[in-house]
Amino acid sequence: MDDRRRRFEALVLPHLDASYRFARWLARSPDDAQDLVQEAMLRAYRGFDALRGSDVKAWLLTIVRNCHATALTQQRRRAHVPLPEEHDALDGQALVSSELGPQEESIRHDQTLTLERLIECLPEDYREVLILREIEDMDYRAIAEITQVPLGTVMSRLARARQALRKQWFTQVEAEPSAVR
Amino acid sequence: MPCADSMRVQAYFDGEVDALSAADIERHMERCVECQALFEDLQRLRVALREELPAVHTPPTLRAQILRDLAAEPSPPRPRTGVRRIGQFWVGAVSGLGAAALAATLAFVLLAPLRPAPVVDELVVAHVNSLLSTHLTDVVSTDRHTVKPWFAGQTDVSPVVADFEPQGYKLIGGRVDYLEHQRAAVVVYRHGAHVINVFSWAATRRSLSERVTRDGYHLLFWRAGDLQYCAVSDTGWDELAALTQLLQGLQ
Repeated sequence: MDDRRRRFEALVLPHLDASYRFARWLARSPDDAQDLVQEAMLRAYRGFDALRGSDVKAWLLTIVRNCHATALTQQRRRAHVPLPEEHDALDGQALVSSELGPQEESIRHDQTLTLERLIECLPEDYREVLILREIEDMDYRAIAEITQVPLGTVMSRLARARQALRKQWFTQVEAEPSAVR
Repeated sequence: MPCADSMRVQAYFDGEVDALSAADIERHMERCVECQALFEDLQRLRVALREELPAVHTPPTLRAQILRDLAAEPSPPRPRTGVRRIGQFWVGAVSGLGAAALAATLAFVLLAPLRPAPVVDELVVAHVNSLLSTHLTDVVSTDRHTVKPWFAGQTDVSPVVADFEPQGYKLIGGRVDYLEHQRAAVVVYRHGAHVINVFSWAATRRSLSERVTRDGYHLLFWRAGDLQYCAVSDTGWDELAALTQLLQGLQ
């Protein structure tokens, strides 16, 4: 293996999970997310020499997001626009840990689906900022770079996304007290 | 109607404020029930998001496919100079790859190689911090005869200070920030709903480009004698240029 590839695998591949997680929230289906990440990693590798000591994770997530935007534009250009696939939250990933009893498991499962659905219902601009902050733990500056909006916009989108989830999710959870741990 | 400080509470929750502002926000939360509830909700929401959402990992087949892709990709010949490297990168990225490559290329260009002077980063961070925190002004005054002498005791520079309220730029105070390893003087103006920070510090030999936009903020640089000035704001260029002209008119 040449030195360039070794450096790429050491620096960039550790962020593969983050790219895939982010892609899952951007793309319409797990299949689309896989295509997106495959494309993004190849682009990243080809452009790797241009990366100079900046935040590798932010750089990679920017590429994922750009690939997604390109794919969307191409889809829209085609005459036939497929309907969004019904999201299957059980697509092969284990959702629950095996230690839980069946009842707890189903409650936990319901709660998870609800929260996931609520996030899916957020406008994309809000959703991506929320995911980058809460799941990927990016700071405001990195989020502003990835989403290409000013810091103030990052802050207001984040506040609105959180406000929407606070309202909807807490109301639902509190309506079923057994689901609160 | 949410508390006017809710954005600052959010910034505090996200670890985006300095220690001084953090202490101030903590004091505010002791008094404000609404912000207390907001902070607790933000914590609950974070716990829920990080614990309740299913853990997503890259499917092993995808990881394997990517490793195969990388192995199949021809490695570019090792370039000798930075210029040539960027040239080859552009040719490689643009030829036959289309819009996606161009988009990705833009990302590299934006994020990596063309980093301007670090002082631009320092200025944007100082500007944003001044908006987030209570540290917008150290001396609050609309009187230039108060602000200007105050700088004399605090900084190494003595910038031009004036109120231009009739022209729409109200002097609201002064502040000291640390920039390029110096104590820089900051004169703060309000223009409509916008805050304009005018930084000044002892000029270094390096020349700075006159206009820079970063993170949505405009930075307008100029030099007067041995002082380097920079006006930073989210106003339009015209509004920013008008204020700098007024200031330059006094020099």
